[in-house]
Amino acid sequence: METRKQGTTLFTAIAVLIGMLVVMQLWLVAAALEAFLSGNRGVLVPAAVASFLVLAVNAGLLLYIVRFDERIRRLEEPPVD
Amino acid sequence: MKEREEARPRWREDFPIAWEQDHYVTRRELAKFLTLGSALLAGASALIALAGRLWKPRPRRRVRIASASAVPPGGSLLFRYPTDEDPCILVRSPDGSFEAYSQVCTHLSCAVVYRPEDRTLACPCHKGVFTCSEGRPIAGPPTRRLPRIVLDVRGDDLFATGVEL
Repeated sequence: METRKQGTTLFTAIAVLIGMLVVMQLWLVAAALEAFLSGNRGVLVPAAVASFLVLAVNAGLLLYIVRFDERIRRLEEPPVD
Repeated sequence: MKEREEARPRWREDFPIAWEQDHYVTRRELAKFLTLGSALLAGASALIALAGRLWKPRPRRRVRIASASAVPPGGSLLFRYPTDEDPCILVRSPDGSFEAYSQVCTHLSCAVVYRPEDRTLACPCHKGVFTCSEGRPIAGPPTRRLPRIVLDVRGDDLFATGVEL
């Protein structure tokens, strides 16, 4: 149970980090849309690339959570006779 | 053992889920939900970039504004381009060159007016000021420049041929 408690803290920290990155992506989408509407096409591709990089970081963090969760489940499984 | 049973309240039997476990699952699911949102936002960025590549602005029509001699140096003239719904302002500098911009302020769409004393375009609503040379905001709340109207001078005739955003 102690490991699960640690997991809660870890998941909170990771959820906050992912949340901050999602806010950054929201800003990127808003900036890209404004650039598109004002005819400034040069920044659209770099904004999309940056957004995908942030997605990759978020996916990596989620993968870490999933693996951590699997490890805890294995530890908590009752031993098979 | 008996002490432990006494320490555990009876309502636990009806509500067996511990806060610890509940928080654990909630945060894990929140992280999944946020990552899904992140994927959607990345997709939106990709769509905007794709639209920027594929969408080509339509060529603007060519419209005669006025004869050049009708606007004295240091003077201005109002016209509409590309449609009758788009007010614009033509400014002639003291050296005789012409500049034209959309008259719609990029802050909250009030009409800008020409101020010949300092050669600026001013928005009376919120005191926004733009340069006449580039349409760049230099004071007040506007942050984006005024759309510039591309001009073509043929003899004594002035034509508007496009809009640079």
